[in-house]
Amino acid sequence: MSSNKHRSKKVILIISILLAIIFLAPFYLVLTNSFKTQQGIFLNVMRLPFGDFFNPQNYIEAFKQLNYIRSFLNSLFITVFSTIIIIIFSSMAAWMLVRTKTKLSTFLFFLFTSAMLIPFQSVMLPLVNIMGRLGLLNPIGLIFMYLGFGSSLSIILYHGFVKNIPIELEEAATIDGCSPIQIFLYIIFPLLKPITVTVSILNVMWIWNDFLLPQLVINKPQWHTIPLKMFYFFGQYSRRWDLALAGLVISMIPIITFYFIVQKHIIKGITQGSIK
Amino acid sequence: MLIRKKSLSLAVILILLSSLLLTACSGDGKQSSNGGQEKVEISIFQFKVEIANELEAAVKEYQDKNQNVKINLETVGGGDDYGAALRAKFQSGNEPTIFNVGGPQDVEDWTHKLENLSDQPWVDLALHGVLSGVTVDGKVYGLPFNMEGYGLIYNKRIFEAAGINPSEIRDFASLEAAVKLLDDKINNGELKEQFPLLEAVFEYPAKETWVTGLHTSNMFLGQEFESSLAAFDAKTLDFKYANQLKSIIDLQADYSPNAKTKNRLNAVDYSTQVEQGLAMERVAIIQQGNWVFGGVNSINKEVAENLGLLPMPVVGVKENTIPVGIPMYWTVNKDSSDAQREVAKDFLNWLYTSDTGKEYIVNKFYFIPPFEGFDKLQPSDPLSADILKFAEAGNTTPWVFMGYPTAWGMDVLGVNIQKYFAGEFTWEQVVEDSKAKWQEMR
Amino acid sequence: MKQSKLWFTLFIAPILFAFIVVVIVPMIVGIYYSFTDWDAIRTGSWVGFDNYARVFKDKDFFNSFVFTTKFAIISVISINIIGFILALLVTQDHKISNFLRSVFFLPNLIGGLILGFIWQFIFTRGFDAVGKLMGIEFLQGWLSDTTTGFWGLVILMSWQMSGYMMVIYIAALQNIPQSLLEAADIDGANSWHKLKHITIPLVAPAFTVGVFLALSCSFKLYDQNLALTGGGPYNSTQMLALNIYNTAFRFRDFGGAQAKAVIFLLIVAAITLTQVYIGKKREVEM
Repeated sequence: MSSNKHRSKKVILIISILLAIIFLAPFYLVLTNSFKTQQGIFLNVMRLPFGDFFNPQNYIEAFKQLNYIRSFLNSLFITVFSTIIIIIFSSMAAWMLVRTKTKLSTFLFFLFTSAMLIPFQSVMLPLVNIMGRLGLLNPIGLIFMYLGFGSSLSIILYHGFVKNIPIELEEAATIDGCSPIQIFLYIIFPLLKPITVTVSILNVMWIWNDFLLPQLVINKPQWHTIPLKMFYFFGQYSRRWDLALAGLVISMIPIITFYFIVQKHIIKGITQGSIK
Repeated sequence: MLIRKKSLSLAVILILLSSLLLTACSGDGKQSSNGGQEKVEISIFQFKVEIANELEAAVKEYQDKNQNVKINLETVGGGDDYGAALRAKFQSGNEPTIFNVGGPQDVEDWTHKLENLSDQPWVDLALHGVLSGVTVDGKVYGLPFNMEGYGLIYNKRIFEAAGINPSEIRDFASLEAAVKLLDDKINNGELKEQFPLLEAVFEYPAKETWVTGLHTSNMFLGQEFESSLAAFDAKTLDFKYANQLKSIIDLQADYSPNAKTKNRLNAVDYSTQVEQGLAMERVAIIQQGNWVFGGVNSINKEVAENLGLLPMPVVGVKENTIPVGIPMYWTVNKDSSDAQREVAKDFLNWLYTSDTGKEYIVNKFYFIPPFEGFDKLQPSDPLSADILKFAEAGNTTPWVFMGYPTAWGMDVLGVNIQKYFAGEFTWEQVVEDSKAKWQEMR
Repeated sequence: MKQSKLWFTLFIAPILFAFIVVVIVPMIVGIYYSFTDWDAIRTGSWVGFDNYARVFKDKDFFNSFVFTTKFAIISVISINIIGFILALLVTQDHKISNFLRSVFFLPNLIGGLILGFIWQFIFTRGFDAVGKLMGIEFLQGWLSDTTTGFWGLVILMSWQMSGYMMVIYIAALQNIPQSLLEAADIDGANSWHKLKHITIPLVAPAFTVGVFLALSCSFKLYDQNLALTGGGPYNSTQMLALNIYNTAFRFRDFGGAQAKAVIFLLIVAAITLTQVYIGKKREVEM
């Protein structure tokens, strides 16, 4: 019985490892081939990048062509600022919506929730048109649009969390003469920390990887984000796989690094985000 | 009141931080005065992927000479549809100063955006006929990129090894005979030792609908319409030479590595055809133009130096001929500021008439210039040289595909050819559907 | 009272403003535009249901609807089954289960566009090379026809999203009271019985979440579609979102594209509402 169990455990382990290898194989192929010459890739995809195939030059070229530092900073700037303002404004709004028991408040929450139904593609054409007229087709406008599109999910998450915070604390503070802004800043916001982490992570992952919205909004090459640059880079080197693969590798590095730093929070964030 | 202050200070922090980030990346995009002169910033949105790097170098050189000018260069082409990208740009309000149009249809589509360039110095230098596609009511709206020609590019060394004399290929019958001979020699292993990777005669990239829907078809519609203007004015399409078109497409497909699985041609892209095909000596002939020289050269210099161009015969009509034309034109956006338009015109003029610019045109871009005054600079690659030979002998067919209805060539005919390879359409269906759509789109 | 109204406005106004400008107004304007011959530059005049009539005759749009639906169904099934299996595997006590979790989740972090390019390489070069090496015809010529394009997308999505589903299912699995499983052990139940009679029923609510998350992602898919197949060959792997984009920017039919966008909105909304409905119903039952 026990040896049977032991054996089945081993089988499960082997299956898991096999699956892990399958999951990692695409990364492996991309990584090894990114160090090869173009001929090397054509001649033998499976061979390791040594000998006459070896060409680390790809990375230098891809780094230059992607204008990597600049694109990275653009992505970082847009992601960080969008996430910050989403957090500030959605936590404020959610707290107010929970604590105000009026018809308007219920209606507004309903409005934010139901907007989850709207797919981006169904509003993108008029949106770009309107934003163009407002002169907001630039990074600032993009951040503003992320605030609008990010509002629903973030408010829902904060709303659910605030509901479980006892109101007594706030009542005591009000009696002490604190204004709502002070209460929010000094009492509520610190309490929201766990959900703030979740909201940040969900928004960072979304905004960092987003492609279609920046494609429509950002047209000046000096403001291209990493996915955008990658898209044009790919078009430019239509299947020059040697450069393209090196470009893919360096464009994946930041988010993977981010993942290994805050892995625990990401897993938790996903779990919470999906239950709502 | 407190909240005002808070949000104000927040705004200040945001601005400070963002300016920090901006300055960290050299702060371009900002207008700054420079020696009393206003800095002028223009943007170029162009489609020619092959020259992206070299053009960037030319831009740098121009900027060094003109310190008050900043030029943003952006290239979209290759796998992407330049037209769609350009429209997205205009729709979003970030209009480029310099962009490209292809011919009469584009000129009509963009007419409200095009600056009249008739007074530019290069207009008088233009070779005969190269401005006709962008001239409306006597006004010139575009500067021709270059002259391009395409046909069947072949590898001279392989032909030699197989004992084929390319100069004898002047019509479809001799072409077909040569292809069959070569195919036999590949199959019986005679060429194996010298060309170990050689596996077929042709490679045909049906995935690139511009190759099939625009280039291949142009050869045959170029006999039906005498110019792109004529094509542009045509309300209906006869498709007189549809059968001849079929024979050249079939020839390229039947002797490709995917002869037995033609649906796979739909995944063959430009790089598979040019770099992984011709340059690696995996195939001997491809239908492409002089623009492939740079790409082949970067992989295998010896192959590049030994390329030549065969005609694309239209059986029974005009056999010893290749299509030569102007692929695209540079245009200036009428709605840019005066200063921007001046810089844009000056840059284009510099590129095509100054000595430095000409050097780039001929020796870096490998262009065949559509202007006079390039006598000292002869094309340095064998493909351009061959094209000039065809042109001098008058064996050319005009490019008319820019007169096709918008998106017809790639998204109708090119897609139909994919369906033909996939077995979804018979050739008759390809022809009927393409004719019907032409009429519908006009 | 008056003051509290002021505070309410101050706290809610900023995000509400962004929300209205970015989501609500474009939606209303978009519905209006779908009844005009809008060309993105001029507002256009009223054409009634002309755009919709054209859309319903548009064979490509119909095909992309069918393709998207088929794709959504298959990928929802595969994503959830694989995700559930992964969750089962990594919740067994192993020294490396944490490492395995990280590995399975990894693809999820990377943007759809980049994933699409990666898999384009794997399918067109990797598969081809292995196929030629081992003489397996099946592995050659991927993405050249509708079938391999379809399965290519399914594989890509399963690879990307099953790690995400795994995380959801892990949470659900960990909520199963250990005592129940132990009791079953004592009753002599084997693993299969435990799975069938305890684990799966208790994880069922998470399945609802997983199914609808995958469904709405699959329906809205754009980046992966663009990067992997670009809709080719002959637009046969073009999904709804890409079709809308191309109608607008390739064929410059903005009115028609917006009509498609409104239909798309209705489809996605219907899917999501069904999710809410089923979720609510289940809550009541429990």
